[in-house]
Amino acid sequence: MSSALLLQSLILGILLGGLYALLAAGLTLYFGVMRVVMIAHSAFLILAGYLAWFFNVKTGLDPLISLVITVPLFFGIGVAVQRLLMTRLKPATLTMMSVLLTFAIALVIEGMLGFTFTGVQRRIRLDYGASSIQVLGAQVAVVKLVAFGLAALALFALWLVLKKTSFGQALRATIQHKEAAELVGVDTAKVASYGFGLGLATAAVGGTALALDATIYPSLHWHWIGPLFAIIVVGGLGSIPGAAIAAMLLGITQSLLQVPLGTTWAQTVFYIALFVTLIVRPQGFFGGRLAQRF
Amino acid sequence: MRNGSESAGTVTAPGKGVALLRSPQRMTGLAVTLVVAVVILVFPMTTTTGYLLSTGVVVLNYALVATGWNFMGGFTGYISLGHAAYFGLGCYTTAILIDRTGMNPWLALALTPIVVGLVAVPVGIAALRVRGASFVIVSIAFVLILLLVSQSWVSLTGGSTGIMVPRAFPDLNRLEHHRVFYYIFVAALALALFVWWRIDRSRFGMGLKAVREDEDKARALGVPTFWSKLVAFVWSAVFTGLAGGLYALWFGDLDPVFQFSILLGAYMVLMALLGGVRELFGPVVGAIVVGLAVEFFKAEFGDTQFHLVATGLLLAVVVLFMPEGVIPAVRGLFSRFGPQLTSIREETAEQLAARQDAAGSTSRSDA
Repeated sequence: MSSALLLQSLILGILLGGLYALLAAGLTLYFGVMRVVMIAHSAFLILAGYLAWFFNVKTGLDPLISLVITVPLFFGIGVAVQRLLMTRLKPATLTMMSVLLTFAIALVIEGMLGFTFTGVQRRIRLDYGASSIQVLGAQVAVVKLVAFGLAALALFALWLVLKKTSFGQALRATIQHKEAAELVGVDTAKVASYGFGLGLATAAVGGTALALDATIYPSLHWHWIGPLFAIIVVGGLGSIPGAAIAAMLLGITQSLLQVPLGTTWAQTVFYIALFVTLIVRPQGFFGGRLAQRF
Repeated sequence: MRNGSESAGTVTAPGKGVALLRSPQRMTGLAVTLVVAVVILVFPMTTTTGYLLSTGVVVLNYALVATGWNFMGGFTGYISLGHAAYFGLGCYTTAILIDRTGMNPWLALALTPIVVGLVAVPVGIAALRVRGASFVIVSIAFVLILLLVSQSWVSLTGGSTGIMVPRAFPDLNRLEHHRVFYYIFVAALALALFVWWRIDRSRFGMGLKAVREDEDKARALGVPTFWSKLVAFVWSAVFTGLAGGLYALWFGDLDPVFQFSILLGAYMVLMALLGGVRELFGPVVGAIVVGLAVEFFKAEFGDTQFHLVATGLLLAVVVLFMPEGVIPAVRGLFSRFGPQLTSIREETAEQLAARQDAAGSTSRSDA
């Protein structure tokens, strides 16, 4: 592999890893606050992509502006899903049943997308869609940079919320020890529902970033859920930094392997990492004791 | 001591038998089962419509995979959303053995569950190191891996164009083909149900159910949890793989997208949950309901994605309102009209003795 090609794949890998990091952070957030495995995360991702595309087609404005609508909307949906659906499940079987319930949500979203927009592949047409710039000697498409910038911004905002606000502190306390958080006066039910909304808001941002650069179709979410789940298990369930680091590493590895192996085989890197993690360290490389028990 | 226990055994045994025959619930259950079994066996003789027969085979195939799923999901409570992996493996094992090596189809079919079972051992060892959420994630990941492999390894699997399986009965017409496979599927389903039933009543099955209720306590009480789970997992893969092999012989045309489909895995879970995972016939009941509904939606709405919405809504309703399944719900409905079960704690020994005396005297006076 020539060094130029290597550099090119490395940069593309970092850009891809940024998007993975944002999406996996949202996914691990649900698990952290509620012990819920949110299979519908990637379905909401595709839904956000479709909304961005639809917004672009109808108004002709830049799809990024659709975030003004989709982020609050998805936050609200997240709060509603947690309040109205997740809290109805019995605590003893919450993890298993939440898998099935969110799977059902994913199916409904996929079906409705297929029903409303048909199964035709969609792509947003942008003025700057075809342009690319030189970064450190490598050609990088502008849309990929925009998508990465968006993901990085959202991840930074998430970090600010979690580290610098009192809500973030309450959220982290809920993740660490729910009962103890309740004892010191945290309204964990409320925090959990906002945490859920926050996770879904990352799906809105991620979906818009994805739609800038990729062709979308209703069943696309199955291609995303596997890698994202692999990332959060490798990183350790419930650990946001773990998810971000694992996402970056696996994104770069995937991108580097694409050159010699091709797109399809390169994707297996996620699953290989997943199985190796389970054999070597089932609780994940950055997670605490949480991961193995749930 | 030994004598005492033996004589006690001989005294209670006939009483138990009489109670078993007299219990109206058991009688109804047995009668319903017999009627359904007769209907299932007679159905193919009453119709000459190929579509109806093939729908029957599809439903039986669903019943077999859902029962196979229930070896893991029902006994241990580990919900696998990726059981389509073993179904697809079964399909492809049979197809590849016949097509690439020219093996006799029935020998290939007999080897299929063994191959699938062997594949399930290492996957099970990896997947069962974690519980709950991680297990579900691994199960989904495995089906996605196999989908990728079956699409990419063109020389072995034919890639996205799929693979054609030569017909097992070249001289039968379409109708007879469906009818023969209908009965083969019935036999395979009966075998799966029999094994499930035997495990359900064994010490091993008790251990598995203890894992389902509380894994840590079961382990503390000496249940070899890991090996029990692994054995249940392999049984589960074996029967799901057998269903796949039969499907490959029956349908004759495989496509990675349909064999390694997460949707199929979701159907298995939905069917088993809908019927009741703790029931022998739960997955079969679920398969009949869901299988017919799926066929109806596909016939009625065709290519639209509407059947996904319907499946999703049904799954959500079952999870939210009926996690125990239909069979326990219906039984509960009937038992409201029958004699009430009481907990031991609710009456003292004297009350119990008095009640039994009264019951004994009334039954004697009745006689």
